[in-house]
Amino acid sequence: MNDTTIVTDSVKRFKWVGTRPIRPDGVPKVTGRALYGADLKLPGMIYGKILRSPHAHARIRSIDTSAAEALHGVKAVVTSADFPEQKFDYIGPERVAVNFWHVTRNILAREKVLYEGHAVAAVAAMSSSIAEEALSLIKVDYEVLPHVIDVDEAMAADAPLLFENMITRGIEPAPTKPSNISKRLDFAIGDVEAGFRQADVVIEKEFKTAAVHQAYIEPHACVAKYEADGQCEIWSSSQGHFQMRALTAQVIGARLGDLRVTPAEIGGGFGGKTVTYLEPVAATLSKKSGLPVRIQMSREDVFRGSGPTSGASMWVKIGVKKDGTIVAADGIFKFQAGAFPGSPVMNGCLCAYAPYEIPNQRAVGFDVVSNRPKAAAYRAPGSPISAFAVESVLDMCAKAIGMDPLALRHKNACRIGTPTIAGPKHAHAGYAETIEALMKHPGYHEKLGPNQGRGVASGYWFNGGGESSATLQVNADGTVLVATGSPDIGGSRASMAIMAAETLGVDYSTVRAIVADTASVGYTHVTGGSRVTFATGTAVVNASRTVVKELCKRAALIWGVDEDGVVWEDGYAKPASSNVGDFKPLSLKEIAAKAAATGGPITASNGVNAGGQAPGFSTQFCDVEVDPETGKVTILRFVAAQDVGRAIHPSYVEGQIQGGVVQGIGWALNEEYIYNSKGQLDNPGFLDYRCPVASDLPMIEPILVEVPNPNHPYGAKGVGEVNICPPMAAIANAIEMATGKRMTSLPMSPPRLLAALSEG
Amino acid sequence: MARIVFTSGFARRYTSGVREFEVEAKNLRGVLKAMDDLYPGLGEHLEEETTVAINGELHETGYFQPVPPGAEVFFIPKIEGG
Repeated sequence: MNDTTIVTDSVKRFKWVGTRPIRPDGVPKVTGRALYGADLKLPGMIYGKILRSPHAHARIRSIDTSAAEALHGVKAVVTSADFPEQKFDYIGPERVAVNFWHVTRNILAREKVLYEGHAVAAVAAMSSSIAEEALSLIKVDYEVLPHVIDVDEAMAADAPLLFENMITRGIEPAPTKPSNISKRLDFAIGDVEAGFRQADVVIEKEFKTAAVHQAYIEPHACVAKYEADGQCEIWSSSQGHFQMRALTAQVIGARLGDLRVTPAEIGGGFGGKTVTYLEPVAATLSKKSGLPVRIQMSREDVFRGSGPTSGASMWVKIGVKKDGTIVAADGIFKFQAGAFPGSPVMNGCLCAYAPYEIPNQRAVGFDVVSNRPKAAAYRAPGSPISAFAVESVLDMCAKAIGMDPLALRHKNACRIGTPTIAGPKHAHAGYAETIEALMKHPGYHEKLGPNQGRGVASGYWFNGGGESSATLQVNADGTVLVATGSPDIGGSRASMAIMAAETLGVDYSTVRAIVADTASVGYTHVTGGSRVTFATGTAVVNASRTVVKELCKRAALIWGVDEDGVVWEDGYAKPASSNVGDFKPLSLKEIAAKAAATGGPITASNGVNAGGQAPGFSTQFCDVEVDPETGKVTILRFVAAQDVGRAIHPSYVEGQIQGGVVQGIGWALNEEYIYNSKGQLDNPGFLDYRCPVASDLPMIEPILVEVPNPNHPYGAKGVGEVNICPPMAAIANAIEMATGKRMTSLPMSPPRLLAALSEG
Repeated sequence: MARIVFTSGFARRYTSGVREFEVEAKNLRGVLKAMDDLYPGLGEHLEEETTVAINGELHETGYFQPVPPGAEVFFIPKIEGG
């Protein structure tokens, strides 16, 4: 790929940062030897299977497992009765607000099943086929209850209740009657009503988005081995093995120190593998059977039993002056949480207007349960949903005042010091630069043909920081091992090795980065929130700097000089001045060879709680062509500019942008859960749940805009998520230009678009 | 002195709707202690439930974060990504 980077601070001045070395995980993956969650086989291992509910909503009167237990070859059967009850308490981050009373009920249902596919019981047997047969012998007596799928219907006063005692949080005084509304949130700055009075044009619209799955290629899988002494080892594919350890320990009632979790290679997660479904069940089956147990989901299990992101129903109103100044914005965002509370509606509210300087803003959010799988994180969770509504209305505003949509966004772009809806002021720039990159793009000014349209949209994501750990070891031959606790989903092994090589001043090929298990490296939070290159990268650079100090100390000992008489330059220890003496510079390799004589192994660990991460901004434009006879939308061109801070490995950054855009295109055009009248999912497979494939797409053109983050040693910002925020609105805006039809509901699939066009 | 600000929802829950405070503190530990002195138990809620923006820069709510003189310290809900 050509160099697509726009550097805003200076010419590149690094040896390795910004280069594109071959990925260290490439060979095992392309040769099929990489070990994913389902690949591990232990001696004596048996096979677990999970019984899932056929009903969308039902009370469990009883579960009889006796026939399954009696089947030859069955080694263990578990139900929720095998797990300790959990306290009802919302703890931790607001968005997820983990309530283990809910978590344990999602892993195995207790009083009720709350969605089709809800896990009810599990079996471990000598073979998969025996386990499958055993499932058919488990007798569950259900009292089928009315169900509700749609978020607006779930909020209705007469909707079937998932929890008979759920009182909406966030309303004062608290409601006296239960409902499916778990929580109400509101954020505001300024005076919204007064703002709208200043506007020349006010546009409001209602929108709906479909729940969509992360559609990672690798289904969830794990192996657990629980020993008689209470020690348990788990191998699993997840976005955070420390997170899996913590969740599993809480759910099965174990101590963190008694669990060791080893990360498998991961075949995609996109947020959906930050939660646990299988690990506690496998551990408990192993405990009961005394044998290692493997459980893996089928694709159908993944769709029926694991979390997509929320579908939503929204209303957005924006007021602008004739000169393009946005004076007020208001919105109501109702998000499906699935069967248990915890949608990303807070993020949706906080991100909705974040790219813009709007003096008067309000966002009201509702977290609503319904009979669908519990929502899980998906790439910038919440932000793409509200962006679809806001960026669509902005396009309508631009059209109403006759202003170019990029110019409207540029005029109102947030800058350092712009207040956000939660209160804090933006501390980093980067948004305006992404708009300017597209304004300069020749494609943006090309003429379009019949039935073609061009749409633009932007997006915002906070990006993450937090706790990460890294350990560096200098080997006797001068090679360097970098161990971190961050599962590698987006190329972190390469970027960690690059940052270590840059800091140490050694050749990239001498550095090997690995992902270590929970017993071999310090606590590290999940690979999610676009946090790893920033937070774990900071830990790697800090540990590398400690190694450099130690190398200088060893060189001083070799030369017989004071430590402060040695400096580290370009990978060599050198005398700080001619006064120190005339010594030949020592390389890392030469010092490593003398490690035993100078004090033993050269190693350093670092743990950080990294803060000062900078947010991500993305602006995109696309050209589409609409077939008026079929309603099919063909993407002709897609250009995505993103503020990336500094691209440590530009190819991976481009890949993140392309991946996010493609997932956004799927969300825009085809992906949705189709439920029948019984609340059962009718399309739990990739044949009927239509993700975009290569033949559907043009080459996605990424533009890396580098506005470095001063709070990271090399200027890195998170790059994994914000790219999925703009595509839905960009495509809707392009369709509107092509057809004159404003699509307000996702997906904009051929039958829906054709129906809309037929309305005239 | 640092200016301490809560979201309206947080203020409603824990500080009887009062959103802004002035606190003398060199780091977040000092801020948390001062708030806990005013509203016993609030310090723990802040630690567990919030992210902090110090002059707009987002940080985890950790004791060690320095608070420069005149800083604007916003406590906002903790954010988790995908």
